[in-house]
Amino acid sequence: MTKYLFIYRSEPMTTPPSPEEMQASLKHWNDWAAKFKATGNIVDEGDGLKPCGKVVKGGGIVTDGPFMEAKEVCGGFSIILAKDYAEAVKIAQACPMVQFGGNVEIREMAGYV
Amino acid sequence: MANTHQLVDHFFRHEYGRLVSHLTRALGVRNLDLVEDVVQTSLMQALQSWSHKGIPEDPTGWLFRVAKNRAIDSLRRSNRWDSISRSVAQRKSNDLPVLEDLSDQQFPDDQLRMLFLCCCDELPVESQVALALKTLCGFDTAEIARALLTSEANIQKRLFRARERLKESKWELSDLDRATIQKRIEAVRTVIYLLFNEGYHSASSDRLIRKDLCEEAIRLGLLLCDNPDTNEPASQALMSLMYYHAARFEARTQENGEIFLLEDQDRNLWDQRLLREGLHWMVQSARGESLSRYHLEGAIVAEHCLCSSFQAINWGRIVELYDLLVGILPGPIHLLNRAVAVARWKGPDAGLQELARLDSDKSLRNYYLWNAVLGELNRQAGNLSEAGHYLSLAFEQCPSIAERKLISSRLDGILDNSRVGIFLK
Repeated sequence: MTKYLFIYRSEPMTTPPSPEEMQASLKHWNDWAAKFKATGNIVDEGDGLKPCGKVVKGGGIVTDGPFMEAKEVCGGFSIILAKDYAEAVKIAQACPMVQFGGNVEIREMAGYV
Repeated sequence: MANTHQLVDHFFRHEYGRLVSHLTRALGVRNLDLVEDVVQTSLMQALQSWSHKGIPEDPTGWLFRVAKNRAIDSLRRSNRWDSISRSVAQRKSNDLPVLEDLSDQQFPDDQLRMLFLCCCDELPVESQVALALKTLCGFDTAEIARALLTSEANIQKRLFRARERLKESKWELSDLDRATIQKRIEAVRTVIYLLFNEGYHSASSDRLIRKDLCEEAIRLGLLLCDNPDTNEPASQALMSLMYYHAARFEARTQENGEIFLLEDQDRNLWDQRLLREGLHWMVQSARGESLSRYHLEGAIVAEHCLCSSFQAINWGRIVELYDLLVGILPGPIHLLNRAVAVARWKGPDAGLQELARLDSDKSLRNYYLWNAVLGELNRQAGNLSEAGHYLSLAFEQCPSIAERKLISSRLDGILDNSRVGIFLK
C-alpha cells in the first residue's frame, strides 16, 4: 500500500452557497469519508485551509497570497492509503470536490522518513 | 475524528434562523446585516470544519460559540462594540447577558420576536414575506426568488429596503409587549398564511421548494401557538387550515407537477397524521368569541377532508360557510369559490347564475380562475362555445404550467365535440 496526498482545489466562490446547499455538500463529504474510512483508505482526513496566507520569497519579499483573484485556491488536503494510482484515482473520483466543480490533485508520498 | 452523526433535515437553514434571531435580539436591529453576514460565515466555517473532522457532538452549541465570537470580532472591528457594551454596562452587567444566557427555551422566543419584527406594518407585505424567509427560514435570495417567482435582483432590493426601514423604526426585539402583539399579530398570521399559499398554490414548478415553503409556514405557525401570548384561537385555526391542506399535498400534485383535482385525488394518499393534526388544532381553536377567516376556511377544507368520499361532501354546508366568510372578509375570490360550491350543490346553471351576479366586478375578468370557472361551468351546462371562449381566455392568463395543462385538457375535450377552434388564436 502507498500513501498519497490529496490536494483539494476549487475556484473561489462568487456567491456563497445557501444554508441548504451547504448541508447537502457536507452530507456528501461525510458520506464519502465514512465510506473510505471503513475500507481503510483514508488515513488522515487532513484539514481545510483558510483562504488567505503569506508567500515568502528570496530577498525578503513577503506577500499576501494566494490571491483572491487566483483562478483556483487550495482549500484543504487529506492523506489516503491506496494500492496504486488507479485506486487513488477511483477514490478521488468519488470525492464531492470533483463532483461539485473542483479538482483533486493526487501526489504519491515519497516515504523518505 | 469524524463520527457518524448525521444532521436533521434543514439543520443549516433552521440554525441560520435561530442564530440570526438570537443575535439580533442581543445586538440590536441596527446590526441585522452584520448579524446575517456573521451567521453565514459561521455556517461556512462549520461546512469546512465538519467536512474534514465530522459533525461534532453538539453542532448547535458549536455553531453558537463560533457565531458569537465572530459577532464580537466584527463589532470590535467596526467600532460598534463599545456602544453595545456600554449599553449593557448600563444594564449593570459585564457581558452581553442574552449572548451568555442561551437555552433551548430562548430560541423559540427569539424567533417569535423576529417574526413580529418582520411583520412591521411599515413594510409592504411582500417584503415582510421575503424578510421572514431570509432571516427566519434561512432561504437565500435565489431560493426566495424561485419560491416567489420573481427575480433575485428584485428580492435583493426588497430585502435591502426592508432592513433600512427596520433600522429607522427603532423597534427592538426586546420591545415585544402586549400592545405590539395586538397590533401586529394579524399581520403575522397573514404572512404565515401567504407563505403557505405560495407553497401550496404557487405557479412555480419547483415542487421541492414549494413543499419547503409549506413546512416553514407550519413551523412559524407553531411558534405562535407554543407561546401563551400569541396562542389565540385564530392562530390555532390557521394551524388547522394549514395541516388540512398539507395532508393533501402529495395527492394533489403528480410527480411531474401536474395537478389532480379534488374529485380525482386518491384519498388513500392523504396523510392521515396531518389530517389528525388538523383536527386537533381545529378543536383547540373552537373557543373564544371571535370567528376568524381561518376558522371558516379551515371548516370549509375540513368539510372536504373529513368526508368519506367526494360524492359525500355536503355542498350546502360549504355554501353556508362561504356566506359567513364573505360576511367577515368580503372579496370577489370567496364569492367565486362560493359559486363553485353552489354549482356542485344545485348544478352548473345555478352556479352560472351566481357568477352572472358577480359579472359587474371588472377586477375578476382578467383573473384566470374566473374565466376557468366560467368556462368549466358552461362546459358542464353544455354551452360548448361559451366554454371554449372562457377556457381559452383562462389558458392565456394562467401563470402556472401545471394549471395550464389542466385547462388545455378541458379545452381538448371540447374541441373534440364542437367547432370552437376560432377562439383559440
